[in-house]
Amino acid sequence: MKVTYNWLKEMVDIDVSPEELAKKLTSAGMEVEEIIYQNEHLHHVVVGKILKIEKHPQADRLVVCQVNIGNEIVQIITAATNVFEGALVPVSLEGADLCNGIKISKTKMRGVDSFGMFCSGEELGIDDNYIEGASVNGILILPNDLKPGTAIDKALMLDDVVFDIGITPNRADCMSVIGIAREVCALLGKELKKLNLSYDLDVYAKDTIWDYVSVDVKTENCYRYMATAVTNVKIERSPLWMRARLNAVGVKPINTIVDITNYVLMECGQPMHAFDGANIGGKKIIVRQANEGETIDALNHSSYNLDESVMVIADENRPMVIAGVIGGEDSCITDKTNICVFESAVFDLKSIRLTSRKYGVRTDSSARYAKGVNVANAELGMARALHLVSKLKCGKVVRGRVDIASKENKSRHITGSVSIINDILGVKIASQDMVRILNSLGIVTKCYADKLECEVPPYREDIENDYDLAEEVIRMYGYDVYDNLGYNLFENATITEGQHHQRLWLERKLRNALVQDGYFENVSYTLVSGDINQKLLLNEEEHKLVRISNPIGEEISCMRTSLAHSLFQNIAYNLSVGNKDMRFFECGRTYIAKSLPLEELPIEKNMLAIAVCENDYNFFNLKAEVEMILNFTSCETKIQRSNKPFLHPGISADYVCGDEVIASFGKVHPVVAKNYELPENVFYAEINTEFLAKLSEKRYNVKAISKFPIVDRDLAVVVDENVTCGEMIESIKSSCGKLCYDVSLFDIYRSETLGENKKSMAFNIRLSDVEKTLTEEDVSAVMKKVLKALTFKFGASLR
Amino acid sequence: MILDELKCTQVQVIDEINNAKTMKDIGEIKGKVFGKNGVLTSLSRGMKDVSAEERPKVGALINEVRNAIEKALAEKEQEVENAELALKLEKEKIDITEPAQGVKKGALHPIPSVIDRLCDICVGLGFSVVEGPEVESDYYNFEAMNIPKNHPSRDMQDTFFINDNILLRSQTSAVQAREMEVKKPPFKIICPGKTYRNDSDSTHSPVFHQLEGLVIDENVSMADLKSMLTIIMKRLYGEDTEIRFRPSFFPFTEPSIEVDVSCPTCHGKGCSLCKGTGMLELLGAGIVNPKVLEMSGIDSKKYRGFAFGFGLDRTAMILNSIGNIRYLYKNDKRFLEQMK
Repeated sequence: MKVTYNWLKEMVDIDVSPEELAKKLTSAGMEVEEIIYQNEHLHHVVVGKILKIEKHPQADRLVVCQVNIGNEIVQIITAATNVFEGALVPVSLEGADLCNGIKISKTKMRGVDSFGMFCSGEELGIDDNYIEGASVNGILILPNDLKPGTAIDKALMLDDVVFDIGITPNRADCMSVIGIAREVCALLGKELKKLNLSYDLDVYAKDTIWDYVSVDVKTENCYRYMATAVTNVKIERSPLWMRARLNAVGVKPINTIVDITNYVLMECGQPMHAFDGANIGGKKIIVRQANEGETIDALNHSSYNLDESVMVIADENRPMVIAGVIGGEDSCITDKTNICVFESAVFDLKSIRLTSRKYGVRTDSSARYAKGVNVANAELGMARALHLVSKLKCGKVVRGRVDIASKENKSRHITGSVSIINDILGVKIASQDMVRILNSLGIVTKCYADKLECEVPPYREDIENDYDLAEEVIRMYGYDVYDNLGYNLFENATITEGQHHQRLWLERKLRNALVQDGYFENVSYTLVSGDINQKLLLNEEEHKLVRISNPIGEEISCMRTSLAHSLFQNIAYNLSVGNKDMRFFECGRTYIAKSLPLEELPIEKNMLAIAVCENDYNFFNLKAEVEMILNFTSCETKIQRSNKPFLHPGISADYVCGDEVIASFGKVHPVVAKNYELPENVFYAEINTEFLAKLSEKRYNVKAISKFPIVDRDLAVVVDENVTCGEMIESIKSSCGKLCYDVSLFDIYRSETLGENKKSMAFNIRLSDVEKTLTEEDVSAVMKKVLKALTFKFGASLR
Repeated sequence: MILDELKCTQVQVIDEINNAKTMKDIGEIKGKVFGKNGVLTSLSRGMKDVSAEERPKVGALINEVRNAIEKALAEKEQEVENAELALKLEKEKIDITEPAQGVKKGALHPIPSVIDRLCDICVGLGFSVVEGPEVESDYYNFEAMNIPKNHPSRDMQDTFFINDNILLRSQTSAVQAREMEVKKPPFKIICPGKTYRNDSDSTHSPVFHQLEGLVIDENVSMADLKSMLTIIMKRLYGEDTEIRFRPSFFPFTEPSIEVDVSCPTCHGKGCSLCKGTGMLELLGAGIVNPKVLEMSGIDSKKYRGFAFGFGLDRTAMILNSIGNIRYLYKNDKRFLEQMK
């Protein structure tokens, strides 16, 4: 919110510079986000009076002007055609640095000296709304009451300093100049000057408010409605000082009455509305909820369909205003307005918020109502508006006012404790300092021993307890008290045992292991496009999508149902930019709704996913990685074919533990590869880390090592293609019994001589006995047994 | 006579040994001298013809010659062996600038890395690491955090909604109430995780990460918050890090503060990262609002708490000098490789 230094000075005797004031406000929680110096680009620009205009001797389009700039007469050459002798114009002299980037220096134009430049309104940063003639294509002709030589920022009242302040939602009372002024008073130890609320009233006039309007409030969303009338209204440009204020805080000056409503809004934080009294049907203002089917043409040239959720200010016939949000076109102030009815009202903030959001309309009024306007404030706003009417002499205030209130707002009494406030803050602040600070903030406070008796003003609805008082005290006392605080860690805290998160801890081990194996960790958006299931061939019923109702775009409108989508996209992106050999992994969640539409929170499952796109990488490389991961925990697993739809059905597997699939991995399904514009040699694995983390920590049970040497034997047998390596190794192991130390496959061989559908499998069998050295007889007995079993079970023949 | 022959043989053989170049030459010499018909063997055999009185003398000389030859041979053998080894080593020399082989290391992503670090720091300080759902109820994300429906403080964040009651958590603070409902004070928790806001521009990502810290205890104060945050920030950004409090507002804390941290790049001198101020606004924190404690069933007369939260994306960017927030979620290998 914007306020100006001069405006604040009207309410507080400020004896510090704007910069210092900004610093103090920020330190008290009113963060000054920007300091704008209105005259930043107006130095070396003065009012000049053109004394004489002559043709340029060398150029037809230029004229040479003699200009009185106060203490001297300078020569200035211009190409502008709207200048004339006797005109007052802004003159930028050597050293000027205008807002459009033009820097002025003495120059010669076609051989004739020119000591400056005349300025247009645009070059001064103003337009017609501010000064008449500022928008013309040419030089700004100034009002003729200005004195030559006057600095232009002073002459045009563009010498204020504007503070743009971030107001936190708890301080709706600071959404106004007066609100900030109260803070300034507390910070500088000053008194708030009373606003002038007096106005001229003809007590002998016969007419009263009732001759112009009556008000009926028919909704509980209106807490207070005040109305007064002004007759003999003069609609014209408001005086420069008022335009200067409005312009400084970013409000477009329009005319006397409209400017008054905006001035009061900015100054007092009270939204006002002005009706053309002649257009109030039946001279009746009815505050009510709209009827289904009613419409309104608003001041922003849009038409809105109304319904019962929307509060309106209506007359006998139709809604005139969407209450607190925006006025209607056909009841507003125009140049012809003669009777004006002012509204100063307080509405329920929820109602205004909902309406403002519903229509996407945010005005200065709705913004204030949506944060909460105090019921007592309506009175201040109305009085101030009437004062301004008198001050501007733009109308005659009518006797009497309507004031219908369903809520009141009084000051509240609360009790605080000096010791509790100090306990909360962890510092020692003397009770008299607390009392001084609270009083300076308008919280009238008396201290009895440890007890603080506080009278909280109505505009501070946020103050309720010791914690709130503690905040007020410390923000004014200064948080710098903590800068050099000698304080030990845990001085007042209980020692607690810190514990890592089980799954995160396991993931950390796995992630570091994968990094050693050349994998890069990914972090992807968990928001994905709605076609994720189709692209991954996933069953919609089993992967119900959690969909955002207000997404930024379709690409990020749903929660992912599989990490495969993220990693496939990441690989596709990397390929598209020319990166090679991707080994990626990500630890993250999948989100699957239990039912749709969503009634309870979805199932969020933590997974570790791996995806690889690399030449010569194969299923068994990935299998090694998966086994490495499973080895981190104590789970007994079995391998089986996977039915993950996005994996190649023949080149994919699951590791299961009991009924639970804990890992699925394999080559990407060719259709899915196509969907993601990936080559076919992409491999993917996902591991249920949530399940793994629940397993007990791995324990070891070390067996005795044999003192006797290991005996190695190789065995190659020919079997049918459909015999699996796994079942053969299982058989060999069981034949070797307790002598088995290790069995491993070292070669698979296929050839025409072996025959179609046949393969030769070569195993390395390592035998060992704990009790003795194995003899040749022992070994050949075992090997015979092995071969016999293989022949019997799988039809194996020795190669 | 045999004595002359012996001496002559010694000179000849040693001469031959000196001329030997390879192990093969040496082997040949050995054969010629010590073999069945070797010179020395023959001469030894000649002992039987030597007179008894000369025999000791001749015997001694034979031994002497044998020893001299053997010694010369051993020396030569060593010499040849050394030369051959040197040659072999020279031949095996490789270009050491050829690239390393085998799997090259990958890298962790900077955000989870920062989470790892913070978990270590905080667990050391007595915090337990917890998590919560990302698709969250309006109650835990807002209402239990003292942000009622249609309240002005809802304007502070643009939230993604699933429906009226379910949303994507806009802050890890959503975990606070969940933990307070189940944990018995005193406790200290941190919750790292993903958060979501309807906001996407050059400095905001709709998906981002936060870390929330919550301490509930009987007698903790703003001063405890200060000392604890100082330690956490020092561990994260370096021992010379300082922090400063500024007043702010969050509905779930009272008093609420923003925490400025001395710029880790310029150490307070002012640089482009801190826009010349020497400080970075990095955390929000405060004393837990007693209303929040009460809503979650904690007796606010007996217990007090403090909470803090900050963005991990920003932390990761500062710690690793990452200039563009988009890098964090693109997963471009050219970015990830730089984290090795």
